[in-house]
Amino acid sequence: MREEWGRLVALLLAQFRRLDLVEDALGDAVEAASRTWPTDGVPTNPAGWLMTAAKRRVVDRLRTEAVAARKQPLLLTDAERHQEGARTMADGGSLLEDDVLRLVLMCAHPALAPESATALSLRLVLGVPTADIARLFLVPEPTMAARITRAKKRIVGAGIPFAVPDASALPDRLDTVAQTAYLAFTAGYSPGTGPDLLRAELSGEAIRLVRVVLSLRPDEPSLVALLALMLLQHSRRDARVSDGRLVLLADQDRTRWHHDEVAEAVRLLAAPRLAGPVTPLAAAYALQGRIAAEHATAASAADTRWDRIIGLYDLLLQVSPAPSARLARAVAVAEHLGPAAGLDALEGVEIPDSHRPASVRAQLLARAGDADAARAAYDQAIAACRNDVERAFLLSRRDELDG
Amino acid sequence: MKYLVLLIGDGAEKPWPEQSESEQEAAMAKFGAFDAACAARDGVELLAGEALSGPQDATVMRTTSGQVQLTDGPYAEVIEAMGGFYLLEAPDLDVVVDLLRLLPPYDIQIHPTVDVTP
Repeated sequence: MREEWGRLVALLLAQFRRLDLVEDALGDAVEAASRTWPTDGVPTNPAGWLMTAAKRRVVDRLRTEAVAARKQPLLLTDAERHQEGARTMADGGSLLEDDVLRLVLMCAHPALAPESATALSLRLVLGVPTADIARLFLVPEPTMAARITRAKKRIVGAGIPFAVPDASALPDRLDTVAQTAYLAFTAGYSPGTGPDLLRAELSGEAIRLVRVVLSLRPDEPSLVALLALMLLQHSRRDARVSDGRLVLLADQDRTRWHHDEVAEAVRLLAAPRLAGPVTPLAAAYALQGRIAAEHATAASAADTRWDRIIGLYDLLLQVSPAPSARLARAVAVAEHLGPAAGLDALEGVEIPDSHRPASVRAQLLARAGDADAARAAYDQAIAACRNDVERAFLLSRRDELDG
Repeated sequence: MKYLVLLIGDGAEKPWPEQSESEQEAAMAKFGAFDAACAARDGVELLAGEALSGPQDATVMRTTSGQVQLTDGPYAEVIEAMGGFYLLEAPDLDVVVDLLRLLPPYDIQIHPTVDVTP
């Protein structure tokens, strides 16, 4: 059912253009199915059954509204301008696929706030329950429900279209889709507490979102590169947590990595399309993917090719000079040439509101044997750290200095 | 939908009084191109569009307990630099943004209108 969700939402929107009704109607249809199918048996065309049931709900609502004679703004479609003919439920076919692409582009529209676009994409394209999206972003469920409702209202109110833009505008829009998916992915790896330390299985939904779009736009460079990057990071999910604690890359049990996913990612990164001219975003994803692939294919932490990783970070900094990349490069330099070289590379790296530069500096100072300076740097990192799990980790590292 | 487009700031464009004659001509040509593109675009109609006089000519009207108070100047600093506006009918936000790319690179607020007739 979850595989069909986005297709059904897209079809209902194409037909009725009422974002405010479509999702509820489909939810009602699914609820009805869960009641009747166990006794009546599963229909031969389950998606068609759900579509018919959801359509009936929408039509009922429209009739009620007509009686109340209330005006409601309509969701716009490009099909409207071309006077759409009668649409029928079809399995496959380009018309249907265009509708799913329209839905994806509407949910990940640049006029929506990134977090809203991400939540809406998971909800409408993939049918991820609101409670799960709330867990992913570490917010209460009512907060997330309100955020999704606001985003839907904004789509109707601002006139965000259910449409595929011109070929000239499409690559930028697909870059926004990629950023939307990556935001969902990284949310699952931002540490929470207790059983929600990592929400890796929910990060997997972001991978599913990218696969849906790639099935419609194969070879799109930013999405190919992003899928590779996410697969490489995701392949380590089972090794990243042990006894409720984060396990650092060097200490992870590499036999617990998903090597089939690593192999798929390495294949994707070799795609000829990524060798040609691509958008800066696609280039940045591809370079981050190649860095992750260096880690993923090293037999052990000691076998890591830090020299190649430094070279890749140098390229990445040319494409996208982010302080987080300079920080990661400094770590690689320290691994390759020692803590003193790493501290030099770290000079001047600042990330607003982040404890990470201080935390890395503390670790390098400790390795260089300067315990006093390391302690001061840990104190600075601890003061800046807003996450309980990470703060506990920093405190234990600082206390080890005294031992 | 009907959109009110507010040219709220110079943005990346040099302020009009500082522009040379040829720069001003180039800016005017962009407004002409925008008008032509709106006329040529399916489903788009330019309903109104005016340049505004400077903030020194603006008046703010406030009514408190039935008393009208007028203040000299624009409502807030954010709209002090507002140079003009358009009211246009367009199918959706993407079409509006696409057309506005033709204008000089001002900061622009795009605001749908709502129908309040019962």
